[in-house]
Amino acid sequence: MNHTRTGPNVYLLAGTVFATLASVTLAAPPDESVFFEKKVRPILADRCFACHGSEKQKGGLRVDSRPALLTGGDRGAAINLRQPASSLLLRALNHGEDLKMPPRNKLPAVEIAVIKEWLLRGAPWPATRPVTSPVPKNHERSFTAAEKAFWAFQPVKRPVVPTVPRPGFPIRNPIDNFILAKLGTTGLKPAAEAEKRTLFRRVTLDLTGLPPTPEETETFLNDPSPRAYENWVEHLLASPAYGEKWGRRWLDVARYADSNGMDENLAYTNAWRYRDWVIRSFNADKPYDEFVREQLAGDLLPGKTETERADHLTATGFLVIGPKMLAEDDPVKMRMDIIDEQLDTLGQVFMGLTLGCARCHDHKFDPITMADYYGLAGILYSTRTMKNYSVVATWNERPIGTPSTLVALAEQEKRVVALRAEIAAIAKEAKATTAATLTKERQRAAEYLAAAVEIARRRRPLKPLVSDLDRKLPTGAVQVESEAFARGNVLRLTDGYGAGIGVIINAGPLPNYAEYDVKIATAGTYQLVVRYAAAESRPVQIMANGQLIAREGCGSRTGSWNPDTQMWAAEGILTLPAGKTVLRFEREGPFPHLDKFALLPMTPEQAARAPLSVAQVATERRLLASALGEWVEVIAKRQGRLPTDEERHRIATAADGPFRITPTAEKETQSRYREQLHRLRAALAALEKTRPPVEEVMAVEDGKGETLRIHLRGNHLTLGAEAPRRFPRILGGDKPLSLGTDRSGRRELAEWLTQPDHPLTARVMVNRLWAGHFGAGLVRSPDNFGRLGERPTHPELLDWLAAEFVQAKWSIKHLHRLIVTSTVYRLGSQADPAALATDPENRLLSHYNRRRLDAEEIRDGMLAVAGLLDRKSGGSLLTVGPRQYVTGTGNRNYEGYAHPRRSVYLPVIRSALYDVFQTLDFPDPSVPSGQRTATTVPGQALMTLNSPLADQTAEAFARSLLAHKGTEKDRVHEAYRRAFGRAPNTRELDRVLAYLTKSQEHADPRLASQARQLQAWRGLCRVLLGSNEFVFVE
Amino acid sequence: MFDKTPRWSRREWLQRSATGFGWLALTDMLARAAEAEQTSRSPLAPRPPHFPARAKRVIFLFMHGGPSQVDTFDYKPRLSADTGKPLPFSKPRVVSSATGNLLRSPFAFKQHGQSGAWVSELFPHLAQCVDELCFIKSMHGSNSRHGGALLELHTGSDTFVRPSMGSWISYGLGTENRDLPAFITICPTLTHGGVNNYSSAFLPAVYQATPLGNAGTPSRQVTIPFVKGTTPREQQRLELDLLADLDRERSVAVGKDAAMEGRIQSFEMAFRMQSAAPAVQDLAKETAATKRLYGLDDPVTENFGRQCLMARRFAEAGVRFVQCTHSYKWDQHENLKRDHTRNAREVDRPIAGLLTDLKQRGLLKETLVLWGGEFGRTPVAQGKDGRDHNPHGFTMFLAGGGIKPGLSYGATDDYGYFATENKVHFHDLHATILHLLGLDHTKLTYRHAGRDFRLTDIHGEVVRAILS
Repeated sequence: MNHTRTGPNVYLLAGTVFATLASVTLAAPPDESVFFEKKVRPILADRCFACHGSEKQKGGLRVDSRPALLTGGDRGAAINLRQPASSLLLRALNHGEDLKMPPRNKLPAVEIAVIKEWLLRGAPWPATRPVTSPVPKNHERSFTAAEKAFWAFQPVKRPVVPTVPRPGFPIRNPIDNFILAKLGTTGLKPAAEAEKRTLFRRVTLDLTGLPPTPEETETFLNDPSPRAYENWVEHLLASPAYGEKWGRRWLDVARYADSNGMDENLAYTNAWRYRDWVIRSFNADKPYDEFVREQLAGDLLPGKTETERADHLTATGFLVIGPKMLAEDDPVKMRMDIIDEQLDTLGQVFMGLTLGCARCHDHKFDPITMADYYGLAGILYSTRTMKNYSVVATWNERPIGTPSTLVALAEQEKRVVALRAEIAAIAKEAKATTAATLTKERQRAAEYLAAAVEIARRRRPLKPLVSDLDRKLPTGAVQVESEAFARGNVLRLTDGYGAGIGVIINAGPLPNYAEYDVKIATAGTYQLVVRYAAAESRPVQIMANGQLIAREGCGSRTGSWNPDTQMWAAEGILTLPAGKTVLRFEREGPFPHLDKFALLPMTPEQAARAPLSVAQVATERRLLASALGEWVEVIAKRQGRLPTDEERHRIATAADGPFRITPTAEKETQSRYREQLHRLRAALAALEKTRPPVEEVMAVEDGKGETLRIHLRGNHLTLGAEAPRRFPRILGGDKPLSLGTDRSGRRELAEWLTQPDHPLTARVMVNRLWAGHFGAGLVRSPDNFGRLGERPTHPELLDWLAAEFVQAKWSIKHLHRLIVTSTVYRLGSQADPAALATDPENRLLSHYNRRRLDAEEIRDGMLAVAGLLDRKSGGSLLTVGPRQYVTGTGNRNYEGYAHPRRSVYLPVIRSALYDVFQTLDFPDPSVPSGQRTATTVPGQALMTLNSPLADQTAEAFARSLLAHKGTEKDRVHEAYRRAFGRAPNTRELDRVLAYLTKSQEHADPRLASQARQLQAWRGLCRVLLGSNEFVFVE
Repeated sequence: MFDKTPRWSRREWLQRSATGFGWLALTDMLARAAEAEQTSRSPLAPRPPHFPARAKRVIFLFMHGGPSQVDTFDYKPRLSADTGKPLPFSKPRVVSSATGNLLRSPFAFKQHGQSGAWVSELFPHLAQCVDELCFIKSMHGSNSRHGGALLELHTGSDTFVRPSMGSWISYGLGTENRDLPAFITICPTLTHGGVNNYSSAFLPAVYQATPLGNAGTPSRQVTIPFVKGTTPREQQRLELDLLADLDRERSVAVGKDAAMEGRIQSFEMAFRMQSAAPAVQDLAKETAATKRLYGLDDPVTENFGRQCLMARRFAEAGVRFVQCTHSYKWDQHENLKRDHTRNAREVDRPIAGLLTDLKQRGLLKETLVLWGGEFGRTPVAQGKDGRDHNPHGFTMFLAGGGIKPGLSYGATDDYGYFATENKVHFHDLHATILHLLGLDHTKLTYRHAGRDFRLTDIHGEVVRAILS
């Protein structure tokens, strides 16, 4: 077996050579050959070749040759000849954290042992044919011509507006030209324009989310002005309700919520400030490019006023409000997951790109590579979104406020930091003192040993000299009541715990102390006995004339804090001169309940036999009591066997020996720092309480600019090549960003996104606005403009709108105005049969798409018609505090939704959405949603029939109608007027009246007639508010 | 007085669906109109599987908190022998809490049944059913925290909000009872991901679970949301008649529309649901013997027993996926002996009762029963009498449709820490469940945000060895 001893070195050397000269093939000696062929190769062949051989090379790895193993796959070399035991191959076989191979079944231990031995031998591989095919390498792919030519990546070109020879309907603006031109090519006829009343309800709901009041309807219908409609549109765009409706649309996309909603569902009590900022921005018609820049990099933008700067910070809440796992044991994974959520969101929101797909591999369908992904991820990695990644993690919040509060806050924070630094410096110095003292004391090991031996020899439990101290004190004894302290900060208590006896207890200030001036008539040795009660152990330090008597005296538990368990205990032996002795009791925490103490004179014989106290011996001989105590324990354990010099040396120098740093040693050696530290810590606590009150917003800030490496298969444990920060190559070009460590690159990203010629930003947003008015976008996948998304139905119109948008300084209201004043928008919802047959999805927009109201529109409409809606704007309705759990084990479930404010102001609690919203297709607030849906499920009908909202609104509506003067018929008219803005036709009137009669006839006979009437009207109101006419927009 | 809406042709229906957004759920209503050709288009109408199914439905008995494998079904004599010694191999890189040395199980194990399965003394009733069960002793996941692990177990992802397995199954197969939801979860937890564990995420809302109460509600009180109102039934009938007439009048005025017609019919269905759902939940008609079987006669087992009995009734009524949750009780970082004893006592009889009852009614062969927690526990001690979370190796069991009974599959190491043999990841479990229901997990996809999503993402292999 000699060769195996020398073998590894030989092969190690050979292996190193091999690694550099890949063409050399190692010839293994014959016995190595046998070992390999008999033992190693069969394992590799059976277990590995299927996935890592000539057929497949999973992870870019082949294991069918030595060079292939040395080159490795995506994760680097599979075998490491310098440190064979830490080879990746071995780690994988042992099912290490980062890699488990074979994935499903760990190899039997014997097989792993064979591979290990083989590696230790230097992984000899008998000469066979050399590997020819190179191992695949990771490099960024180039894009195909088709990818580069994909429509969405082409610059927006403002197209010529087509002329329509014989329009057949009025052309009001270029939108009509584009739609009609396309419709004309199919020969389809557009529907007739909607009736004035229908159009009025449509545009009012579309722009404000609220139904028009009957008065507004009547005024409008009677307005003879040719511009009555346009004027009304202006009125709507100027109303605060506009921002409440369209801001909410943006919040769908921004996956807005007031709680985290993942594993730990904590309240985001400052999220509403972002929500209100969005609503304000829409109402102010903030140019969209600014709107985007502020959300991505508001913290880095200059602001003219404090309000503006605060708004800018608030806007970056966009990056923080996403759902995150907050209890993740792996902080690196948590961080990358949060970045992924941000990237995926911002990609879809601003560019309609599904960037998240490139986290684990190059995007399967779009030209987005992993280098693109990690290039962008680096920007967010260099951005602080979280305060920490602990369990449960904390997201970032930043103060906003007036300049003076902000200055005060900064000042205060500066002082806190300075004080913390001072404390840290002193604590460090104190620690150094301990270390130095112990090193010095170690030289005196022989003295410690001698003292310890003496103490150990005389060690026995200390008992009071006299057993019945309560009855009679021995002659010469001095007894002192605890309340009689000369100096101290504790409370004298004569009732409760001190009833009948008088005790001292903690009064608040720490450390507790009490000092006594005791007159000693005769010099001599005394035993100190103390009477006290304690339900828990509260050991005190006892000093006499500045010398330590007991480090942990009075530490027993007596059973309670009450006088009835008071007991005497001997705490130390003192040799005292005649005259004044100062006795001091002290404890970092609260005292036990001390009643009294006594000094009992000892005879010389008693003194000679008395146990020695470590503290006292240490004082007398100037040793460290803490270290001496440790020595005593060491000696006691040896049961009388004295250590030799050599043993003593070994004990004294052992890392876990008596001179190690212990808490007691620290306390003893750092006494001169103690008071100072105590004072400074108290000052810090006080200072921290003086934090000026400021409002906070969820916001990001720049961190150190860093470059990420590509995470192979998205795994942070397997890193590939570096991915310098940059924008996706297909859009941003090949030029890398020159970003240093001083910045994240977020501002650059924001600027790049809002360049007027960015191919996606304007297109994506105008499509969102279009979809908001017509129920579907020109691109029917508003969050995906990639290959798997839909192609635009009217590409020229999309580009014209995008160009117009940018030209109009990114004015969103300008877009609304164009859309709702077009003829296309005014078409009726009655389709021509031919149009239905050839274009069932109405992609050509030959008529208006009838739509069901959104969840918020239904609720707000019900409340409005019932006269209950509170139109106050802004502010938070959350009923929980910061970081409180909004859902949790047991019955904790957020329910604070009963408020008559507009729906946009109701909290959006992930995982505990308002049930009415949940039922009515409110979008999932965990992901960007550019498209509302309207399903019809029985749950919605149940909601209409049985929910508290339906009950409440029907009741209020019914009561207000019953208060309306007139006949029953008049009241039905009034009901129709308020619910639908029209009068009932005769059939409707008859049917309703018949119902009212029948309902009252069939009512419970025990009900009074008024109650029957109310029940019938409540039923009618429920029906009207639940009717198709109410919930659909024509 | 009012014209009834004329019957429409299929072609007309399709045309009227206009934008298509309302189409999916709307067609559910059409199914009620008994138009056979429409039925196939309903999102909740029964849909044929990809291949013949072995099970028609799933009952998942979820033990929230993480029951300890080494104290229940994964018998480890070496753990007893080496108790107090350090673990002879490395602990995982990422752990939830600090742990100490090996800790033997305080519970005695015995073999049971023909299959000789090891069961600890915690489950005396279940021990009588072991020949119906298939234990997977090599389960593993990747998250050591409750939230992440719950989401991984329920949705396959501990990173993002994804549809729950119940939602995927409803999406794949629909429901057999049009008066009831396809996916019901009884007393679900509101924590550790809460609703995300049973939400449909980006799948259409019809596929989300209907929760009955939550973990804080006694199961005796739970109902479908909004199923009970304040309006007397007779008055409600009058209101619905009025509503239908006014809506039809509206249709005359604005023209026929499938979404509007669907909505009219949804009210009729809701009206029926108000009696159908409570009827299924009403246990009064069950015999005293059945109630006893589920432990309804004992205050300790009554709560979970009622959940299990309701689950059987929902399963019988054609609900596709029913989950019962024994909520957040199994997290024994301390007091392992006391609390595992209490927990097991609460569920042992109900679960054995459910299995027995399903079997005697002939339902077991077409119902897949799944039992387990979000992870197991460490064989090493936390404190003196506790165990930490352990996603690296733990036990779940299955029974019923298509499962090989009396089998123990896979294994952990000598101490029960890591799965080592025939490892089964949550993704594999999901793939296997779908397979048993006749669904190919690689083909059950939904297009969202530009890509096709699966329950198993890019992972998952059907564990064929446990199929009968």
